[in-house]
Amino acid sequence: MNEPPKEPVKYVETTIHLPYHYVAGDVRARYLHALKEKKILGARCSKAGKIFVPPLVASPESFAPCEEFIEIAACGVVTTYCVVNIPVIGRNIEIPYVAASVALDGADISIFAMIQECKPEDVRMGMRVEAVWKPDGERQGDHEDIQYFRPTGEPDAPRESFLHRL
Amino acid sequence: MAKLRNVAIVGFAQAPIVVRDEHRVASEILYPQVRRALADCGVERDAIDYQVAGSADYVDGRPFGFVAALDVTGTWPPRQDLHLEMDAAFAAHYAWIRMQAGDCDTAIVCGYGKNSEGEPEHVLNLELDPYYQAPLGLGPTSTAALQASAFMARTGTTDRTLAEVAARNRTAGVRNPDALVRARATADDLERTPWAVAPLRKGYLAPTGDSAVCVVLATEGKAEKMCERPAWIRGVDQRIERQTLGSRDLSASAGARLAAEKALAMAGVGAREADVVELAATNPAEELILLEALGIGPSDAVNPSGGPLCGHPFMMTGLIRLGEAFRQLAGRAGDHAVPRARTAIAHATLGHCLQQNLFFVLGTERRWT
Amino acid sequence: MKRPVAVVGVGQTQHSSRRADLSIPGLVREAADRALVDAGLDYGDVDAVVMGKAPDQLEGVMQPEQFLAGALGAHLKPLIRVHTAGSVGASTALAAVTHVASGLFDRVLTVAWEKQSEGNAMWALSPNMPFTPPLVAGAGGFFAPYCRAYIARTGCPPHIGPMVAVNARDNATRNDYAHLREPMTFEDVMNSPVLWDPIRYLETCPSSDGAVALVVASEEQARKGPRKPAWIKAGYSYAEAMWVPGRDQVSPMAGKICAKAVYDAAGIKNPWKEIQTIEIYVPFAWFEPMWLENLGFCDVGEGWKIVDRGDQKMGRHLPVNPSGGVLCTNPIGASGMLRLGEAALQVMGRAGAHQVDGARNALGHAYGGGAQYFSMWLVSSER
Repeated sequence: MNEPPKEPVKYVETTIHLPYHYVAGDVRARYLHALKEKKILGARCSKAGKIFVPPLVASPESFAPCEEFIEIAACGVVTTYCVVNIPVIGRNIEIPYVAASVALDGADISIFAMIQECKPEDVRMGMRVEAVWKPDGERQGDHEDIQYFRPTGEPDAPRESFLHRL
Repeated sequence: MAKLRNVAIVGFAQAPIVVRDEHRVASEILYPQVRRALADCGVERDAIDYQVAGSADYVDGRPFGFVAALDVTGTWPPRQDLHLEMDAAFAAHYAWIRMQAGDCDTAIVCGYGKNSEGEPEHVLNLELDPYYQAPLGLGPTSTAALQASAFMARTGTTDRTLAEVAARNRTAGVRNPDALVRARATADDLERTPWAVAPLRKGYLAPTGDSAVCVVLATEGKAEKMCERPAWIRGVDQRIERQTLGSRDLSASAGARLAAEKALAMAGVGAREADVVELAATNPAEELILLEALGIGPSDAVNPSGGPLCGHPFMMTGLIRLGEAFRQLAGRAGDHAVPRARTAIAHATLGHCLQQNLFFVLGTERRWT
Repeated sequence: MKRPVAVVGVGQTQHSSRRADLSIPGLVREAADRALVDAGLDYGDVDAVVMGKAPDQLEGVMQPEQFLAGALGAHLKPLIRVHTAGSVGASTALAAVTHVASGLFDRVLTVAWEKQSEGNAMWALSPNMPFTPPLVAGAGGFFAPYCRAYIARTGCPPHIGPMVAVNARDNATRNDYAHLREPMTFEDVMNSPVLWDPIRYLETCPSSDGAVALVVASEEQARKGPRKPAWIKAGYSYAEAMWVPGRDQVSPMAGKICAKAVYDAAGIKNPWKEIQTIEIYVPFAWFEPMWLENLGFCDVGEGWKIVDRGDQKMGRHLPVNPSGGVLCTNPIGASGMLRLGEAALQVMGRAGAHQVDGARNALGHAYGGGAQYFSMWLVSSER
C-alpha cells in the first residue's frame, strides 16, 4: 500500500485515446478517386443548376438533390485568403502559409486551398491560380493529390467578379 | 391543470438501422429522411417554422459535427434553429415547449450521428465525471450491469426473466423493417449467450448502429392538414438525477417514476391504459425498472418495434421511440402494428443507469378542448 | 412569447486563462451561486435548468451536464443541454426564456461555461478531419479571410482593428470579472505578431476559463425579487447553411434576419437611436465594424467609421462591449451568455464601473459556426 500523498491531490492528468473509423461516403469518395485522374468533380443541383465542389448529395440552397457529376476546371480565382503564421498540433505544414478561398471556374462555391510558389505578401484577392498536382504515379486518390495552387500569371479577375462571392 | 396548446406528431421518417453505413456520412443519411417526412405531411420546407436537432459531438468524433446538418435540412433562407447535445427526443420536447410559448406552430426534429465510427463503450465512459468515475474505466455496459445487479438483488428477478424480456423484444423486432436485428431469438437462445458484464449477457444488450430520424410536430389547426390521424401529445415530462452512481438507489429509477407520473397526470391517463409503451431501455433490466416506475408489468404492449434491443442508434433511440409510438397511433406501423392503438407512451433516456428520463404520452384524441 | 420574461439574477466567475483553483463543478457553482443570490432565490426554487457549452472535446468530457446535475441542484428536475457552437451561451439563454414564456416554468436557472484550459483548445476547434485538407488553423484561421474581404469591400483603414482592440481593453479595466484587463496602446497592438494576416495577436480573443449564470423568470417572480429586473423584449436564434452559393460571410443573412426579427418584435425602428449600448460577439477586432453593419446600426460600409469617430467608446453615442467583450474574456461556451447577461446588467443599472448611463435598451448578441448561428436578445429596463 502506498502512503497517502502529503499534499491533497489537486490535478488529474488524463490522456484520452478514442479511435474513430471514418467513411468518406460514396459522393466524397468519387471526388477523391477522380483526383487521381487529375479531375476535379462537382455536383449539379437538380433544381437550380448550381455546381458544388466538392460534390454534395443535396443543394443547401434549394434543398433539392444533386444528381449529376460534372468535371470542373482545376483553376480559378482567389476570392479571399489569410496568411497563417502559427503552427497547429498534429500538422507539419511549413509556416507561414497562405490559406485561400478559391473559386474554381465553373463552380458556385469555393474550396479552401493552400497557395504556394509565390511569396505570401504577393498573394492578392482576385489572383488567378491553378492546381499543382502530385506527379503521375504518386497520386493516391486523396485530397493530397492536389498539393497546392499556384499563380498562373494571368491578369487578376475583375473586382466585381469575386468581391461578393467568397 | 392549465389548458395547453394541443400539439401532435404528424410525421416520422427513419433510415433503417444498419451496423455501419459504408456509403454515406451522417448528414447524407439524414437528408432523405427530412425530405420524406415533409413529403408524407404534404408540405414544403418553407411551411415549417422551426427546426431543432439532437446529436452528440463524441458519437462520430467531430466537434461541431452538427453544423453539417444545416446543409441538409433546408436551412436556406436562414431559419430559426436550435441544437441540443442530447438524444433527439429531448429536442422534440423542446419543440413542444416552444409551441406552448406560442413561438412556432410547426417543427422538424432531427436525430443523426453515426455510432459505427466510434466505439460506444469507450466514448460513453467520458459521460462519467472525470475525477472519480471515468478513471475507473466504466463503460455503459459495466454501469448497466451494476444497475441490473442492484435491481435483481432487490426484486429477486432471475437471469431467466431477463432472457424472456429480451426474447419478447427480439420477437417483436422481426416484424419491424427498420430494425437492425430482425432475427427471432428465444429465451433459451439468449440465456445461453456468454456474459458481457454479468449479470448482463451479450444477448441482452442493445446493438448500436447508424440511422437518421426526422419527426414533424404541428399544433392544432395545422396538424390535421398534415396527417390524417395525428398522434396528439397529451402529456410530457423529463427529469434528471444526480450522476454519482453511489448517490442514488440504482435498483429503481426515481427520476423515471417522477417524469412518468407528471406526464401521465398531464395526459389525464393511467399507464395501464397505454396500448403501446415504447421504452428506450438498452437492456432487459432497464425495461423492468422502467415498467416498475410506470407501475405496469411486462406485456406485448411494450416495444412492438422491437425496441433498442433490435437496434440502438444512440442519441436518436429516444426519438425513434416517439416516432414508433406515432406510427402505431397513426395506423402506419405496418407489420408490427398494435391493433386499435389509442394511447401510447414513448420514453427516452440519457446518461448511465437511466440517469435522465423523458416520457411522452400520446393519444388519438386531443387532450385540451 | 406567450407571457413576459425577465432576467432576475446574473452571476459570473472571475474569468482567467486557468481556474486551477476549481474543478468543473466548482466553476459552474461559482456562477450559479452568484446568480441565485442575486435573484434572492435558492436552488430549491429553480423549476428547470438549461445548460449550454461548446464542444465537449474542449475539456475531454462528454455531456458534462450529466455529472453536473447534482452540483446545479437539478436532481429530479428537467434539464436540457444546448450546443450551437460559439453562439451557444446566447441560444442557451434564449432556450431558458422559452421555458418561462411557455407558462410551464416560472424560474429557470441557465448556465453557460467553458474550462478550456483543461484540454487543447486549438485542436478541439480545428482537429484534422478525414478527407479534407487540414488548412484551417483555429477559429482565427477560418475568419481571417472574411475580415480581409470586409476591408477590401469597404476600404476600412488598417488602424480600425487596433482601435477596437485598445478600446475593448480599456473597457475591461472597468470590469472586475474580465480575463484580460491590462490596458494597451495602439502601438502595442501594431507591434504584436500577425497570427493570420490580417489578424494580429492583440486583436484576438484569449482562451479563458469561465462560467456565467442567469435566472430568468416570470413577471410575477420578477416583481417579487429584490432586484429591478431586465425585461426581455425579444430574442431569436437563427442559423443558415454553409455551402450556399454567394453566401455572404462578411454580413451573413442569418444575422440580418435575426436582428430584424428582434427589432420588430421589440418595437425598435431605429437601432442607432433607440438602443443605448450593445454587447456583441467580437472575437477578432475586425468583427466590430462588421457586426455594426450586420445588426443595422449603420449602412453597409459605414461600420468602421463608427469606430473611427470613437462613437463606440464609453461615454459616447453607442458604447460597444462596455464589459470588454470577447476580446478580453472568452470561455467559448460562456461568451454568448456573457453578452446577453452584460446587456441585462446594463438595463438593470448594475454594471458597476462599466455602467452606461441611462441604458434603457441593450442588445446582447452572439454568433457561431462558420458565421452561421446567430442568437440575440433585446432587453429593456421597461416592461
